[in-house]
Amino acid sequence: MTSPTSPAPTSPAPTSPAPTSPAPTSPAPTTPAPAPHGSAAVDPAPGPALELRGVTVDFADGDQVVHALGGVDLTVVPGELVALIGPSGSGKSSLLAVAGALLRPTSGSVLLDGIEVESMGPRELARVRREHLGFIFQSGGLFPSLTALDQLLLVTDIRGERPSSGEERARALLDELGLAHRTGHRPEQLSGGERQRVAIARALMGRPALLLADEPTASLDRARSEEIVAQLAEETHRHGTATLMVTHDPEGLDHADRVLELVDGRLGGGAGS
Amino acid sequence: MYLARRDLVAAKGRFLLMGTVVALIAMLGVLLAGLATGLVSAGTSGLESLDFTDLAFQPGAESTFARSFLEPATVQQLGAVPGVRAAPLGVSLFNARRNAGTPQEEVVDVALFGTAPTSFLAPRVTSGEPLVDGGPGRIVISKDLAKDGVKVGDTLTVGLDERRLEVTGITEGGTYGHVPVAFTDLTSWQDVTPGARAADGTGLVSSVALQVGGGTDAAAIERTVPGVEVVTKQQSFNGSPGYVAEMSTMMLIRGFLLVISALVVAAFFTVWTVQRRGQIGLLKAMGAGNGYVLRDALGQMLVVLVVATVIGTLLGMGLGSLMPAKAPFSLQATPVVVAGLALVVAGVLGSLAAVRRITSVDPLIALGAQR
Repeated sequence: MTSPTSPAPTSPAPTSPAPTSPAPTSPAPTTPAPAPHGSAAVDPAPGPALELRGVTVDFADGDQVVHALGGVDLTVVPGELVALIGPSGSGKSSLLAVAGALLRPTSGSVLLDGIEVESMGPRELARVRREHLGFIFQSGGLFPSLTALDQLLLVTDIRGERPSSGEERARALLDELGLAHRTGHRPEQLSGGERQRVAIARALMGRPALLLADEPTASLDRARSEEIVAQLAEETHRHGTATLMVTHDPEGLDHADRVLELVDGRLGGGAGS
Repeated sequence: MYLARRDLVAAKGRFLLMGTVVALIAMLGVLLAGLATGLVSAGTSGLESLDFTDLAFQPGAESTFARSFLEPATVQQLGAVPGVRAAPLGVSLFNARRNAGTPQEEVVDVALFGTAPTSFLAPRVTSGEPLVDGGPGRIVISKDLAKDGVKVGDTLTVGLDERRLEVTGITEGGTYGHVPVAFTDLTSWQDVTPGARAADGTGLVSSVALQVGGGTDAAAIERTVPGVEVVTKQQSFNGSPGYVAEMSTMMLIRGFLLVISALVVAAFFTVWTVQRRGQIGLLKAMGAGNGYVLRDALGQMLVVLVVATVIGTLLGMGLGSLMPAKAPFSLQATPVVVAGLALVVAGVLGSLAAVRRITSVDPLIALGAQR
């Protein structure tokens, strides 16, 4: 991976979402509900949960340099579900990795919950992920040895708190996602849809400012995919979390507030702002 | 340890297998520790039980009693060194005949210690009569010899000219060179031991036992009394027949066992870590730092190591208690605890082999498609 350069935004940061087709079916998040995310350690600035300004990502592929992202500008505000679609190799995962503080951009700036992260070291990035982000991974990304309840309490443990202190919230989240009767079940005992709902609950457990979903419907059938995206949208609006969902699946896109298309590392049709 | 504890339960078959291997090694470690202690005891307990701090030998004897002869004048010179008490000591190994010439005659091995009955080396009898000055021909046997059937009132015929010694008492004694110890007076010892008398009939001794107080040391004694080589009690054990070879062998076996333990744990932990790479990536993506994942992983291995070592140690102690009384085996707390701790330390060192694999996991792998 190449090292980041100094931030060089290619355009002013967008301040309001500009939906592309299909039109959002949920209320536009112009006045998102305040979310109790973040921690006292780092004061989150009010405003967008995610701001990408002129983000580029290059990486070496043999002798060649591949431009995974070419000057992406993107803003996601609290209470908004943004779906990011695009063909394979279009840069969706790179964008998600940059937004998730997992990959430093080659250039451009990345603000997560108002915090500039592009020049942070691994330890600080881990802290930002721990305190400001929630992830929903492909196929759930659940730990085989943990029950549904334990998956959520693990988040509390990673944050350095006593796991039992989060039990009330964990049970409430699982209940909210219709999993109250599955708290003691391990991933192998859950259906694909249930696993993804546990993953959503786990991602919400730390009251994140930004929720990042990586192909959350990849292993689900059509009906389940629709159901999961609807649930994700509902939780996004209920908790006032900003959600960026990468998907190649057209099912459930109606539930997104905005749908952006990424082609060859660039957001198409001015959809990024 | 939140995830690690649950992994231990969920993957109990895998950890049970690993734990069994560690427990078996711990068991073997305890048995070897017991054997090593037993061998030390069988080789040197006869000397260990005597109340001295150093031994003076003829130079070049390398703590071997059979190679050393000192004159009575040397004993007096050593005793005259300020802060030093000296007592002559003769040591030789014999095949003695018990109750020779009777139907009960049998051959017994004896490590015969000759000393002055009034010296600090004189044996304290637990039954029977002690050695006495001016009363040659008496012998006080150790309990180990009594276990072989020798009793007070028996005679032991010793030496080429078949000198008969009467068993008058029993003392704690011990063994030397795996042979039960028996004590006799210096004159009797010199009578039966080849080479223990000079051509003019002067009685010699193998060595001189010293009680060295503060303010002096071996080097000072050697300077004051030329013609002696002073070694500590511990160093004198090296002269016990087979002692160095036995200890070297045991050390080699135990060393290899620890290396094997470290490698076994390293191999298991490395494979386990490689298999968990995806999980580690997920943890890091969720915000766990290297410290968190290392604590989790190493803590898990430590739990397996400690639990398996404790179980293996207890099983080893149980098995050791079933050892035949004649076997050179002795379970003592310190060697057993040291063996267990060494195994845990070796295991921890082995598990460190996987640390780099853990810290180098990129949280980016948590995303299904990288880049």
